[in-house]
Amino acid sequence: MKAKPFLVAAPAALALVLAGCGGSTGDNSSDGSSAAPKDCSSTEVFCIGLVTDTGSVDDKNFNQAAWEGVKALEGDGVQTKYIETKDAKDYANNLKQFTDQKYDAIVTVGFLMAEATVTAAKSNPNIKFIGVDQFQDDKATAPNVTGLIFPEANAGYAAGYMAGLMTKTNKLGIVLGAEIPPTQAYAKGYEQGSKASNPKSSVAKVYHPAGDNAFSDSPWGAGEAKKMLAQGADFIFGAGGGTGNGALGEAAKTSGAGSSIFCIGVDVDQWDTVPEAHPCLVTSAEKKLTKGTTDLLTQAKDGSIKGGNFVGDTGLAPFHDFDSKIPADVKTKVADIVKQLEDGTLKVA
Amino acid sequence: MTWLQRNKIPAGTALVVLVAAYAFYFANPNIAVSMFSNAWFLAVPLVLGAMVGVIGERSGVVNIGIEGQMLVGAFAGFFAAAATQSVFIGVIAGALSGIAMGAFLAFTTVKGQLDQIIAGVVINIVATGITSFYYESGKTIPRGLPNFDVPLLSKIPLIGPVFFSDGPIALFALVIVIVLHFLLFKTRWGLRTRAVGEYPSAADTAGINVIALRLFNVTMAGTLAGIAGAYLSMEATSTFERGMSSGRGFLALAILIFGAWRPLRALAAALFFGFMSASASQLQASNVVNIPQQFINLLPYVLTLVVLAAAAGRVRAPGAVGQPFVKGD
Repeated sequence: MKAKPFLVAAPAALALVLAGCGGSTGDNSSDGSSAAPKDCSSTEVFCIGLVTDTGSVDDKNFNQAAWEGVKALEGDGVQTKYIETKDAKDYANNLKQFTDQKYDAIVTVGFLMAEATVTAAKSNPNIKFIGVDQFQDDKATAPNVTGLIFPEANAGYAAGYMAGLMTKTNKLGIVLGAEIPPTQAYAKGYEQGSKASNPKSSVAKVYHPAGDNAFSDSPWGAGEAKKMLAQGADFIFGAGGGTGNGALGEAAKTSGAGSSIFCIGVDVDQWDTVPEAHPCLVTSAEKKLTKGTTDLLTQAKDGSIKGGNFVGDTGLAPFHDFDSKIPADVKTKVADIVKQLEDGTLKVA
Repeated sequence: MTWLQRNKIPAGTALVVLVAAYAFYFANPNIAVSMFSNAWFLAVPLVLGAMVGVIGERSGVVNIGIEGQMLVGAFAGFFAAAATQSVFIGVIAGALSGIAMGAFLAFTTVKGQLDQIIAGVVINIVATGITSFYYESGKTIPRGLPNFDVPLLSKIPLIGPVFFSDGPIALFALVIVIVLHFLLFKTRWGLRTRAVGEYPSAADTAGINVIALRLFNVTMAGTLAGIAGAYLSMEATSTFERGMSSGRGFLALAILIFGAWRPLRALAAALFFGFMSASASQLQASNVVNIPQQFINLLPYVLTLVVLAAAAGRVRAPGAVGQPFVKGD
């Protein structure tokens, strides 16, 4: 067999070129102009760097919410800059760009970057690291890392409470990604919340079976939602990234969407992120990422930040088009529950 | 009688399955229809993917790039539909991108004699790269492909709502399997394709242009992979997610082997996979059995292994699969 080596080389080179697209950067100097960036190693300027999870900084999701939290600090003596990660392999390299320039605080977004963040923190003990949605385990963390975490169970509880009040069939569904602590907490909260407001209701719950693509398998999520709806569920809570979004999209396509079939988004206000779910999306179980990031960065700036975990707020996103369709008594009851969850008088067991 | 005698096992299995399905249907119509619909919903991309494999391997070319072809189809279809606000154009774009990916595989492996596994891996890597890099969030398509009822056929109990009340691509998948079975085993093209895949030098001696036929088949098979992708992003959902093919292209390869390189058996195998997945989630959701969900989720794979082990001894790959053809070699 006569192989032609250039035919191997050309596609392989193409693959390498595509795989090698590390990340794009953008900076926001506080004065708005493209003035030369100040030296971050000096004490005069406080430099904040943000490394996104795979995705862009305007993804209307975690990356954007965290970046808005960073931008809130812009002003005198603060310089901010972000790096968009194109591939999970580049986490460490992107972090290195900031650590090499001696940034004062670095925000990393997403569960997946937890390990890279702690590794970078260990070799740069003078830099403060904030890991958004990264739970810090006592054994595997560094003193200069703070994990911004959210009580998913509370957000799920509020969503379940609202669904329990509004369901007509007493059957609710939840479509989740992989079975990991955050999704388990959403499911637990949702089940308890719906039981609290409607003891007759029952929840059908499915986790994605495979590990690798458990959060990007939207067709699977759609199929599960379709099955639940056919079996009488009238509320679908999609809590698992793309997989959950697939479930929302399917509920939105089902006849009766918006009048007898409803869906609830997760993590951020999904009215902005999943436009195809508009026909059924009453609200989203939301993590208040922007506020949490700003709070932690303010602490980092004045030096009061502590290592370990910082618990941010959760709540329900605005109702948007459904604002007029949701009964007033449901709104007041739900608002009351959200408040109780926030001040800690109501605890999800 | 001869047909029945030759096909005792498949015909018997089909009959048993049909009887069991209807028994389930009469016991609980609502659950049965929803579960079988779910099985078919999940099986559609697997069926189309397996058909890509059937055409390729029957002509002697291994295609492990189905996953990547599907992903590019989903991507190109979705973003073309978003740009033009026409789902129809989206499906066409998905199919065309599939042809492009098929042509890449065909020309590198058949013309250039590049190792077929390497070419497939390249397709998968490039597909993941391009679709992640050029992905833009926030794009929408007007609305996904609508479901419709096929007159008369959709009235059949169980079979009607499961197979004949879906979207156009699901229906297309059902039709293409039957058409492909006919083409492969009853036409001149089919005989030549099988000859080229089994014993290319003999086919060459008989005057068949092996290279041209392989180029044509592998390129055109890409269309089906592109349409499978369009199904994922425009019929099953109305969105594109990075990596949304989620291993379906690889599963399609398993189904191809399970289905003994025959379209109809591959369809049955895909339905089996789909039904196993539907059963797992049904057991999880209904909480009837109190065992950990990880164990339930394991069941489809374990059962598949058992069935594959039982079936694997009986199947045989086309003789010349994986080997480039060099005239006079």
